Amino acid sequence: MTDDDHVFKALADPTRRHLLDRLFERDGRTLTELESELAMTRFGVMKHLRVLEDAGVVVTRREGREKLHFLNPVPIRLIHDRWIDKYTERQVSALSELKTRLEGRR
Amino acid sequence: MTTTAAKTTQVYRVFIKASADQIWEAITRPEWTARYFHGAHITVTPEHYDSRSADGDVWGDSAVEVFDPPQKLVHGWRSLYDPEMALEDESRVTWEIEEDEHGVCLLTVTHDRLEGAPKTAAGVSGAGWTGVISNLKTLLETGEPMH
Repeated sequence: MTDDDHVFKALADPTRRHLLDRLFERDGRTLTELESELAMTRFGVMKHLRVLEDAGVVVTRREGREKLHFLNPVPIRLIHDRWIDKYTERQVSALSELKTRLEGRR
Repeated sequence: MTTTAAKTTQVYRVFIKASADQIWEAITRPEWTARYFHGAHITVTPEHYDSRSADGDVWGDSAVEVFDPPQKLVHGWRSLYDPEMALEDESRVTWEIEEDEHGVCLLTVTHDRLEGAPKTAAGVSGAGWTGVISNLKTLLETGEPMH
């Protein structure tokens, strides 16, 4: 899988998107904190966090005895630059072309 | 402790297809930083971190704590480009470059010690560092910045 594949896979699951939203609200959380908000076993949450880590959208750091999870938005930004920007630009130009054509007909 | 770290530490990470030396040069020399870092001309010496606008306004002026090319750079951060943020306490930025395989490096940027700089923390989070770092990646990999 390419880097993009990992990110798309990570985002293609509601629980994982929920975890990202929780980290967006407050960054640097422990597994215990993240787990407390989900109706899921600790192992289930760990598994999802590992997929997010493999994709690079979550980065962990040790602080004392705790392992903290941080949201890393860079891979999502790169997906945005590569996939979203490109197509929305085309859409905008298609619309403006349509507008020109319709107005030209009048 | 967790709560403090949560509000005062931000971590950004990206793989870049470039050598550690290239990345080091791109983060320490003004002719590079001007192309991806909001136009900032940043010069880093073993002692000093200096950031200026194209017109020479001082945007950053801090001591360098660690200067270990091409692996690790630690310097202070003061947001002198904004009058309100400029009054806040100094925070800290750490750049770590690890060689991976096949000519790829893992770059990790950690902005911490933001306890006394809440406006800076909000200003650099989200689009701030994310934009700078993804722009740096694009510049080094394609020769052109994205934005």
